[in-house]
Amino acid sequence: MRNLLDFFIKNSSWFIFVFYMILSSILLFNNNPFQQSIYLTSANSVCSSVYSGISNITSYFYLRDINDELQKQNAALEIEVVSLKNIIEEYKLQNLDSAAMIQQYDVIVSRVISNSISNQQNYITINKGALDGISSEMGVIDQNGVVGIVNVTGDHTARIISLLNPNLRLSCKVKGSDFFGSLVWDGKSPYYAILEEMPRHVKFEKGDTIITSGYSAVFPEGINVGIIDEQLSTGGDNFYSLRIKLLTDFTQLSNVRVIKNYMKGEFDKLKESDNK
Amino acid sequence: MTKNTIISVILFIIMVLLQIICNRICLFNIAVPFVFIYFILRLPMTLSVNWVMTLSFLIGLVIDIFSNTAGMNAMACTILAAARKPIFSLYFPREDEMSNPVPSIRTLGFVSYLKYMTTLTAVFCVLIYGIQLFTFSNFLLTIYRILGSTLLTSIVLIGFDSIVTTNREKRL
Repeated sequence: MRNLLDFFIKNSSWFIFVFYMILSSILLFNNNPFQQSIYLTSANSVCSSVYSGISNITSYFYLRDINDELQKQNAALEIEVVSLKNIIEEYKLQNLDSAAMIQQYDVIVSRVISNSISNQQNYITINKGALDGISSEMGVIDQNGVVGIVNVTGDHTARIISLLNPNLRLSCKVKGSDFFGSLVWDGKSPYYAILEEMPRHVKFEKGDTIITSGYSAVFPEGINVGIIDEQLSTGGDNFYSLRIKLLTDFTQLSNVRVIKNYMKGEFDKLKESDNK
Repeated sequence: MTKNTIISVILFIIMVLLQIICNRICLFNIAVPFVFIYFILRLPMTLSVNWVMTLSFLIGLVIDIFSNTAGMNAMACTILAAARKPIFSLYFPREDEMSNPVPSIRTLGFVSYLKYMTTLTAVFCVLIYGIQLFTFSNFLLTIYRILGSTLLTSIVLIGFDSIVTTNREKRL
């Protein structure tokens, strides 16, 4: 017995080393991003208060760029409002305005308090949480395009899987056509991602816009994602990949919008009964 | 001893906060300054290995929580803590000659400290990016990132250490 104790004390540093290695391995290899505990992610209260403090200061630095982008978007929206008004007038003339309009989507504006682009799996933390109506698997966009999907929510903070994370696959299509593929990040540059599984017989031009397909309840159809940069050569299968320049600038995110879909429950139920 | 403890606690907090800010930096998409390993480098050589590993694991875990990299930094820091003493005795076989057990430019001299610090920084960068290679393979980019991050971290740490050291001398 005494020898055993001596042995443990003599080699205690080895045991402690192995213990810590096992502990960190468990954390490292047990990382399904949708199942992580909130205390081990940046959505916990200590982290979020530190990040809020830092972002209170740094958010001023991006104001000019954001202002420019908002001006541009405002102008585009004004044009759209005018054209939509015209269409509504036309419909009114045809007595079709009584058709029930259901509001399907709502947006929650919030601020990014932490963001990473240099890791292989990137996450974003925002300053709105479950008490503001945010729940898991909601889509997140900013003024330029898609940002990511919410995965862990705290009371006042939420963690988003960034588009710059290989765990996230986004169903996208080319604007003006119905051919769709899935967008995934290749881990190389924060400005580019790869659109996979595009059918081989379709020809696309460089510079075409990529939008969300609306085939899941997370994002509505038609949100900008990026533009085609180049076609990547692949093997002899029936699909090819495109390199997409992302419209969202992940290096300076500041304000994002979380999309709340009122019909998501219904959609998921339909999908479930489909699978049965 | 208590004075050293207080300094270590303050340094722990400062390092975590600094690293949170430095996490935003990614020069040319390859170089990230891992400033917080200064805490591990600076722990006194007389401290037992068990304590060094525990503190290193803790600072790694805190950084992990802040940067959403579950377990990655914790693992690399633990290995770094275990490798610290052997690497130190590689360059300084007779440590009992040291007047102050805290490794810094002032106690070791510039060249010796540079050797000690660069080796450990390189070990840490290899570990961090090696662990990332498990989840994602981009071999050439990983090599560039190891080299870039080692260089940037070393430069930042030399600067940081000389700031800390000169402040001390003024106080004395």
